[in-house]
Amino acid sequence: MGNDRYRVTRRQFGVGVFGAGVVATSLAGVAPSRAQGSPKRGGTLVATWGGGEPQACYVPAGGGSSPTFSSSKLFERLGSRTMDGKFQGELAESWKPSADFKSYTIKIRKGVKFHDGKDMTTDDVVYSIGEIWKKYSAASALTDFSGVEAPDADTVVMTFSKPIPEFFFSSLLCGNVNYIVPKHVYAGSDPVTNPANNAPIGTGPWKFKEWVRGSHFEYVKNDAYWRKDMPYMDRLIIRYVRDPAGRAAAMEAGDIHIGVFNPVAPPDIKRLTGTGKFVATPKGYEESVWSTTLECNMRNPVFAKREVRQAMFHAVDRSFIAKTVYYGYARPGTSPIYSPNKEFFTSDTYKTGFDPKKAAALLDAAGFPKKADGKRFAVNLLAAGWFTENGKIGAYVKQALEDAGIAVNLSVPDRPTSIKRIYTDYDFDMAISNQANPSEPVPSTTQYFTTDGIKKGVPFRNANGYSNPEVDALVEKIKVETDSAKRKELVFQFEKIITVEAPLLPLVELESITVASTKVQNHSNDPNYLAASWYDIWLAS
Amino acid sequence: MAGELASPTASPRITRGSSRRVAAFRLLRRRLIQAVPLMLGVVVINFVLIQLAPGSFLELMTAENQVSDPATIALLRKTYGLDDPVWLQLLKYIWALMRFDFGFSYRQNIPVIDAISVHLPATLLLMISSITLALAVGIAAGVVASMKVRTFWDTLVSVVAMFFFAAPGFWLGIMLIVLFSVKLGWLPVGGMATIGGASSGFTAVLDILHHLLLPTLALGLFYAAIYTRVMRSSMLEVAQLDFVRTARAKGLSRNRVTISHVLRNALLPVVTILGVQMGTVLAGSVVIESVFSWPGVGSLLFDSVSSRNYPVVLGIMVLGSLVVIAANIAVDLVYMWLDPRIEIR
Repeated sequence: MGNDRYRVTRRQFGVGVFGAGVVATSLAGVAPSRAQGSPKRGGTLVATWGGGEPQACYVPAGGGSSPTFSSSKLFERLGSRTMDGKFQGELAESWKPSADFKSYTIKIRKGVKFHDGKDMTTDDVVYSIGEIWKKYSAASALTDFSGVEAPDADTVVMTFSKPIPEFFFSSLLCGNVNYIVPKHVYAGSDPVTNPANNAPIGTGPWKFKEWVRGSHFEYVKNDAYWRKDMPYMDRLIIRYVRDPAGRAAAMEAGDIHIGVFNPVAPPDIKRLTGTGKFVATPKGYEESVWSTTLECNMRNPVFAKREVRQAMFHAVDRSFIAKTVYYGYARPGTSPIYSPNKEFFTSDTYKTGFDPKKAAALLDAAGFPKKADGKRFAVNLLAAGWFTENGKIGAYVKQALEDAGIAVNLSVPDRPTSIKRIYTDYDFDMAISNQANPSEPVPSTTQYFTTDGIKKGVPFRNANGYSNPEVDALVEKIKVETDSAKRKELVFQFEKIITVEAPLLPLVELESITVASTKVQNHSNDPNYLAASWYDIWLAS
Repeated sequence: MAGELASPTASPRITRGSSRRVAAFRLLRRRLIQAVPLMLGVVVINFVLIQLAPGSFLELMTAENQVSDPATIALLRKTYGLDDPVWLQLLKYIWALMRFDFGFSYRQNIPVIDAISVHLPATLLLMISSITLALAVGIAAGVVASMKVRTFWDTLVSVVAMFFFAAPGFWLGIMLIVLFSVKLGWLPVGGMATIGGASSGFTAVLDILHHLLLPTLALGLFYAAIYTRVMRSSMLEVAQLDFVRTARAKGLSRNRVTISHVLRNALLPVVTILGVQMGTVLAGSVVIESVFSWPGVGSLLFDSVSSRNYPVVLGIMVLGSLVVIAANIAVDLVYMWLDPRIEIR
């Protein structure tokens, strides 16, 4: 891959790109942002998201969606992705692999300054990769990382012990919180406890001004931003409203202009868009697709049989969940790689669609016929209580499995208890949980299925205990295959095996929604919009 | 406490003038001494309850930070003192509290006292305004209902009081927002101040009052309904007593009898309830703060419980208990002022 493919074109996400990209969506009365005329400069944009206040404005390891949302307006990454799936440079001008794909040369953008006025240099990049990415934000992805150095003032070279596919590397540069942080602020300190995490100094289009805890962040325009004449607006307020009904009311009253990641309840989406003053769009989540998953604990001998695991999925009507629990803002999941993934999704997999007769036949064949009491066996079903929808799905899955002759004991513990029971104690037979996956499947997707993903006490890994040497070997190949076509085939194989084996599969892929006032222009124009810098957003009169 | 008041009819100890001040001082001293074991109990019970809750902040922290190295997790456990036995953790916490050290919030990376002190004024403001509203409305409505007993006005007050008593706080809050903020546009939807508005001076005070009105109504009207009912029945009961009949026989006007003789004595049960309810007002603010995005300790407590942020939860419990104890002492003093015949034992 040469420089040209990733060469930055400034304002690539400008008005025209997204305006042209406006398409009809699957939602009634829904349309993404449409730029109207020349951007208006100045003013204050108030934004919110469908969750609470972060523990810190910036958490080096990520810390969840909330600190990612707050920090991504202040810090920047080396690269980003466009809505059509291409990679583009941000703080990197370009990058290219060596012939053996064991090292990558990154050309760093010149003329970039941190908010405190100091120049961003290759020292900052080397420090960020070596000390922040490797240890915190990309630790699980950088297992084959050997080192990083800056041979000259414009170049950084990352080396690896194994060949690294370009797609993997480019995705790494776009990682959620793989930011370039100022070495002069973080060096010599513990990055996790550095006070600057609560008043970050980055290179982004917005400068931190104030955090009124319990209320909002106030950011102001970075006048020295490297994208000339950006951002358009003077101030960005990130406001936290805990209650979804309160968010809907605040939007309706004009106090909040835009809310990302499901800011209001589904019925309110239709009500707000029905006024003609708001638009709702599922665009902007293509690189962070959420799903609700069902997994079977292989430590239970019942689930050691593949037919039983398949039967669990055949017994559940995913369309019903999508329509009833998510009001249609979801679609049935079919593969561990989700359908918006243009690079790696395949529909050519084993189908575990709703088929109660097949479920019954599989259970009979597995040696679990209905007994005299009409039951085959009993399971403990844990629905992780961090999303209220999980509890509702749990209630439905319980009914569906009981129809199939399986006695179900359902529990819906809160977040800390769910994490402990699923990932530390393995105290479940079946678990309803959630994942958010980017396009690159390694390691974010594969670690749920590989043997090295089984790490007791480490959340959001392989908790079901599935271990298959064939899958492990396949993932090792995916990790190092540098031919993109061959790599894609390997991922397709992975999907086929996993859908047949069914240790964990998505019940539904969720459609995350952004709701915005019709005045807000140039929004939802990044495939990971919650984590985008929002440099080009503006507010029409 | 108010609940321990000696009955005014059971051989009251009469206190006058300076002896009343001495009695008040003795009361204060006694209550402060009683507060020590009370606080100790609060700390121990809350500490144990939190320990019993499954999951820990460390598991959440490793989840959010994707920490996968067992050695790192072990180091974090040691750093945060989680390897110590529970009794040792408790003793260390009590020892720190005795030095006014509320601990450190590792989740927020700031001392607990800093995390709480940012939010506490907002909650105190909401509590005080809600209680003030509840007392003013409750007493006034109760007096009106008792003076117009078995009339349309009495029925109206009772119906309205029952409505606000039955209405859940979160629902009432949302309805108030819909009516006054969304439909009429008179009041802000939430928050404590206009973002970017004046930060000091009279304009800032007005701005805060503007934001305070709806949460105060949502939290205070429930208690106003209770006080209305209690006040009404208390007024009717006191009105039947001999000294009121004597006052009327002396030819005093109805209003004077009601205000000077009946009202003051009828206030005693309301004041008693007020002291008991300070804790529930604090608890109620958790919900109301959530609805109105009011940046008080309620929101902080909710987040801290959800994230098993034990030091902050304990800190809020301890400070909350102190507020309730202080409020109850104040209620006892008010009780003495309202009824000079008695001394609180």
